[in-house]
Amino acid sequence: MVLTAAILACCCLPVMAEEKILRVATTNEVKSPAFIGDYTLGLFNHISNPPLMQMDQNGKLIGLLADHYEVSSDNTQWTFYIKENQFWSDGTPVTGDDVAFSIQMYGKSVPNAGWIGETLTDTAVDGNKVTFTFNKPYTNLALEFTSYSILPRHIWESVENPNEYTSTGPYVGAGPFYLDNVDLNAGKVIFKRNPYWKGTSPAYDAVEISWFKNEDAAAKALESGAMDTYWKYASSYPYAAVDSLKSSGTFEILEKPTSGLTFLGFNLKKEPLSDISFRDAISYAINYQEMVNIATLGYGRVPNRGFIPPAMDGYISTQAMEYNPETAKKKLESAGYKDSNGNGIVEGNDGKDIVLDLLIRNAYSREAELVKEYLEKVGIGVEIRSVEDNTWFELKDTYNYDITLTRTTPWGMLMHANWATGYFDSRRTGQGVLHTVDDPVFLELCDNILATTDTTLLNRYAQDVQNYYADNLPGIPLYWKNDITPYNKKITGWYSNPLYGIMNEFTLTGVKPVA
Amino acid sequence: MGASFLSFHYLIRKIFRYLFSFVIILLVVFLLPRMMPGDPIANLVGEDVYLSPQKILELRSAFGLDSPLHEQFFVYCMKLYQLDLGYSFHMHAPVSSLLIDRAAWTLLYIGIAIVCGIIIGVGPGEKAGWESEKWWAHFLSAGAVLISSTPPYLLSLIVLVIFVYHFGWFPLKGFYDTFDITSIIHHLVLPISVLTVFYASRNFLIMRGAVLSEKCQLYPQFVRSLGIPEKDILSGHIRKNAIIPLITLIALDFGFLFSGALFIEIVFSLNGMGSLIYDAILSRDYPVLTGSFLVISVFVIMANILSDILCIVLDPRTGRNE
Repeated sequence: MVLTAAILACCCLPVMAEEKILRVATTNEVKSPAFIGDYTLGLFNHISNPPLMQMDQNGKLIGLLADHYEVSSDNTQWTFYIKENQFWSDGTPVTGDDVAFSIQMYGKSVPNAGWIGETLTDTAVDGNKVTFTFNKPYTNLALEFTSYSILPRHIWESVENPNEYTSTGPYVGAGPFYLDNVDLNAGKVIFKRNPYWKGTSPAYDAVEISWFKNEDAAAKALESGAMDTYWKYASSYPYAAVDSLKSSGTFEILEKPTSGLTFLGFNLKKEPLSDISFRDAISYAINYQEMVNIATLGYGRVPNRGFIPPAMDGYISTQAMEYNPETAKKKLESAGYKDSNGNGIVEGNDGKDIVLDLLIRNAYSREAELVKEYLEKVGIGVEIRSVEDNTWFELKDTYNYDITLTRTTPWGMLMHANWATGYFDSRRTGQGVLHTVDDPVFLELCDNILATTDTTLLNRYAQDVQNYYADNLPGIPLYWKNDITPYNKKITGWYSNPLYGIMNEFTLTGVKPVA
Repeated sequence: MGASFLSFHYLIRKIFRYLFSFVIILLVVFLLPRMMPGDPIANLVGEDVYLSPQKILELRSAFGLDSPLHEQFFVYCMKLYQLDLGYSFHMHAPVSSLLIDRAAWTLLYIGIAIVCGIIIGVGPGEKAGWESEKWWAHFLSAGAVLISSTPPYLLSLIVLVIFVYHFGWFPLKGFYDTFDITSIIHHLVLPISVLTVFYASRNFLIMRGAVLSEKCQLYPQFVRSLGIPEKDILSGHIRKNAIIPLITLIALDFGFLFSGALFIEIVFSLNGMGSLIYDAILSRDYPVLTGSFLVISVFVIMANILSDILCIVLDPRTGRNE
């Protein structure tokens, strides 16, 4: 009898299937198990706690937790309609209350969401409908709401200070996966399948994101086959490691133009940079194709004068940047910048040699050396000042430079009045922005964009902004680049958007082993 | 006056000097991070985020950064008196708990490497100095010079590529995959080995140099003339004198035990003290920087006191000239 019972028990026991895990390598390091407070965890938790909105592969805003939204004619009231049939990983349904609580909580507790606290005056919930009322017109809300993860009210309302709350997990989530564990000493976060998820069923049981402190080790992890893909916010897989990875024969490459770019910014408050003719001459001195070849190893292209890359919604084609040192010299001469003493360097209006102070962050030393070489060839002296990030922030905020070399991020391109205006509008401050343009024409253009949600008008303003950049060159784009995402050949279904790359719900529910 | 009284007096004077150093250190570790360019609040908010000046002022006040520096120092000293090292803006945790967590792991991998480095480096270094004309002494010395002059980051990467990528014998990163002793050992073998090789080669070269210099003194010749065998001259007389400079250096190693080994942590993606301090510097996380520097300084002072005591024990003449 005992033997029979044992045999029956063995037969009835389910065979333990091996857990299918999607492995992602990154160099975005989680520094603290603070679900909201940690910057990187805040990026990862979009998987488990979807924001209201997301971007599609063409850069258009579409619903994620929200189905759709409506905006009042004065742009002060935004109503989001939450999708039906969504459940938290503890089985509780997702409600409008969760959304209202989350957005209010961000405004109150999270430093970088302080604008919500300052402008949100009322939140009304009616079934699956949540209406936010602001004390002034707000036109970018749909975009802003691509970055705020929605949290379950029944869990988080008892947390006194959500921004400082730390736990290694699990955290209740409403996405296809919930965050199961954050292990700083193992260097990974593990997401597990949400048992109450009603959307397209993921092919994987878990998603494991492992971070590396250096790109070389991350690249080797991929080449060894230990990882299925690589993701880093606003960055590509290291271009120098692509060929080596391709030769392993295990990986395919997803190449997508990105809205982030590298550019030369000018201190428009100082001569001769305040002179458009001088900036125009500089624009002809730069060998863009060489820049593309060296900085992106060919995974990029020569930019246009309109600054905005084609990956952005609203892009228009403007004149391509042109490398022509002779034109640059002629333009300098006709603008009055001549080398009268024959020492190879042109003089400014004060009769002194023009030697520009090129302020850069350490990461851009290679590009800076090239720029120095190009400008010296046309008779503009350059001295490179390479500093670490914090010193750069301080020096550029006090306008203690002539030119600088920096980059934009996909989010940065969209902030403020969209189309990189956040980097130039003199009324803004912030770590990465230059705030150098105080031309009333440009400021009015920004205000116009900020005052409307009308897509026809916005498209027209997008054209105006790009034409403004092309005519006035407040910044010179050095190269547009493509983001490279390697993925295991044995896995199909990857989806990439311009904001967060492959880190999106389409990818996580769409990837599956090749049949 | 007796020799032991002189040594004791010397030690007491040293301890007073260290106490004075501690007071200076307290001021320096507080001021140094705050004198660096950059704003912790701007780092906290992020690169692409706009906050109104009013909101920034509120945040500055919330973190106690709006008061004058002398008031901030007073508050810091008061908290320190209660053993409170402050709260990290960026890591969302009390500095003391961060330090305890990171220091425990750092102690594990650096501590083992220092001990192994002593065992592997000192004995052969002594032997190579004593029998410096032998071929193996030349060979070992050349190897030690080669390792010492290799950039640590490069050597670590080479080791990673060979043993992790090509042979697949060790894991790529982290202290463990699953928190168990086997996994921890498996993960730490390579970082500890690389560090050990560095410590051992440095100890080897210093010990070899010290023995070479001691054996040319008059006292070994005198001892030899008394008919004492060669191996006893080395172990009974030369070793005691030759090891003194190394003790000071090893004491400093232990002092800096908690500063971590940044290059090892970066290559093997380890969550140790080195990367904690590095990240705190980049983000201008004042409490973490001040707390870490203070703890490291205290350990360096303690290690120096221990080294002084050890030197007095080994050579009672130490400090008599002062």
